[in-house]
Amino acid sequence: MRRILLASALVLALMGCASNEPGPTSGSAEGRQDFKVALLTPGPVNDSGWSALAYEGLLAIRDELGAEISNQEAKGTQIRDAMRSYAQRGFRLVFGHGFEYNEPGVEIARDFPDTVFVSSSGGKTAKNAGAFRFYLEQGFYLGGVMAADLSKSGVVAMIGGPKVPSIESTFKAFEAGAKAERPDIRVLTLFTGQDSDVAAAKRATLEAIAQGADLVIHQANAAAQGVFEACREKGVLAIGSNANQNENESGVVVASAVIVAKPAFVELAKDVRDGRYEGSIRLVGMDKGAIDFVINPKLESRVPEATRKKLDDLRAKILSGALVVPKDEF
Amino acid sequence: MIETLAAVAMFATPTALAAIGETLGQRSGVLNIGLEGTMLLSAFVAAMVALWSGNPWLGLVSGGLAGLGLAALVGLLCVARDADQVVVGTGLNLLALGLTGAWFRSLFGQSGQLFTVPTLPKAGSWDVLSVAAPMLALLALWLLQRTYWGLTLRASGENPVAVEAAGRSVPRYRWLGLMASGSLAGLGGAHLALVVSGTFAENMTSGRGFVALAMVTFGRWSPVGAYAACLLIGYLESLQFSLQASGRGVPQELLLALPYAASLLALAFVGRGVRSPAALATPYRRAK
Repeated sequence: MRRILLASALVLALMGCASNEPGPTSGSAEGRQDFKVALLTPGPVNDSGWSALAYEGLLAIRDELGAEISNQEAKGTQIRDAMRSYAQRGFRLVFGHGFEYNEPGVEIARDFPDTVFVSSSGGKTAKNAGAFRFYLEQGFYLGGVMAADLSKSGVVAMIGGPKVPSIESTFKAFEAGAKAERPDIRVLTLFTGQDSDVAAAKRATLEAIAQGADLVIHQANAAAQGVFEACREKGVLAIGSNANQNENESGVVVASAVIVAKPAFVELAKDVRDGRYEGSIRLVGMDKGAIDFVINPKLESRVPEATRKKLDDLRAKILSGALVVPKDEF
Repeated sequence: MIETLAAVAMFATPTALAAIGETLGQRSGVLNIGLEGTMLLSAFVAAMVALWSGNPWLGLVSGGLAGLGLAALVGLLCVARDADQVVVGTGLNLLALGLTGAWFRSLFGQSGQLFTVPTLPKAGSWDVLSVAAPMLALLALWLLQRTYWGLTLRASGENPVAVEAAGRSVPRYRWLGLMASGSLAGLGGAHLALVVSGTFAENMTSGRGFVALAMVTFGRWSPVGAYAACLLIGYLESLQFSLQASGRGVPQELLLALPYAASLLALAFVGRGVRSPAALATPYRRAK
């Protein structure tokens, strides 16, 4: 029995690193072959969410700047190894898609002055290392305002995968938006703890609906279909996130809080290529066109004219700086 | 109340099917660590077949067959030959994770896609497999405890030499146990894709195969026990979500751990006299 337990532990450990096959390396015939850009993601790039949008940004760098690209999943102790190996292979920009890549990046940047290490969020910088933070909270804030307007029950819900700071921060912004619009609204928060467990996401959503929620926003990445299916079964509307999910087959996605990664990624890569990069923390939000809140044209009839007007006004206020959406530092 | 129970049963069915099959497998002496990979690959096959044919029943059958195929692979290595069952099962898990990931990406693009597949019909929360699962558990219990076939299967896992001495073939019974394990894990994976989720996502089984292995132990190697254990865990999982939603200020990390903490506790008190099949995971070599 002991042998079996040991073996099971080994199996679990192996499972943890099973999905780390390096992604394809591809380049383009023309352009500067010496300009190489790498991306590290916490999960598979086919998650239709967080990691997928970074991968699309990387592809844009290849297509628009002719860079040679490579990507890999790297978590925990693998992060430092992956960063060093990319730097040794002459990559000029190593992008880590998450706050957990910030500290290793700043640390390793000292040994590789010719490589720039940038992470998605995080607070530390060096001469050739820094962070780049998507202000998705802006989109979630607008989502909260819309949710409060559309909800009849006065209860809305947020369904998250793993409980990580970046997700919690967007949820806080959603709640702030909802409460600003309707102070007595109840906002339920449920985490499944898993990023790919569609069934758990569906179950959490059903539970939230059972407790009265009639509008659901998510941060469930690849498991998002579970959220939408639960909403479809119970006849409830949902708000998509990260990618524009308005076209989802479930037909319940009334709007999406979207990260448009491409322009921000390309701009950063250009700065690195031209030697203009200086370690900093860049906040990219609606003003840079990196964040958007898109209403589904097919379900526009479900959104009252007054609400659409309100969302436009708030968007203008965010752009002018009159409204600063709350965000956590992490 | 009935509706809650039905929902719990539906969400527990993928794990329960795998656990019932694996109970039969372990009683015959074969440990199939590869349940997780079997469920994942079957979920993928079921989802893809249902998507292309438009027929979820075809998807369900394909999922079961995929599970059977993987069990045959384990059988070839572990029953026909004497390979280490733990090593083979581990390999199977890695193979399934890699294969489904690669196929999924080649079909739906590197950055993935959310999609739905045709689902099996449901009446409320009941579908054909969540109704069948408890019956299968009872059937398996009856087979194990009340038939000569079951006696021989159990003997293959307890004392294979005695089976041989009685003129019966140990490999044959172990093959049958393994087939039950593989095909039911396959149906479990198919159920996860075609009933519970209505889609496929990379690594969507999220450890259900490993939980099923634990449930076999929790159920003390009884098919009905394994099914009951899955229901209990499933109930606790839905309870923790409802506690999270009620926002009583209990840390969510603690609530997520609740089902597992509770089952550990139960394990410490339930059926302490029962032990695992004596020849479990031991390859059988016929005496010369």
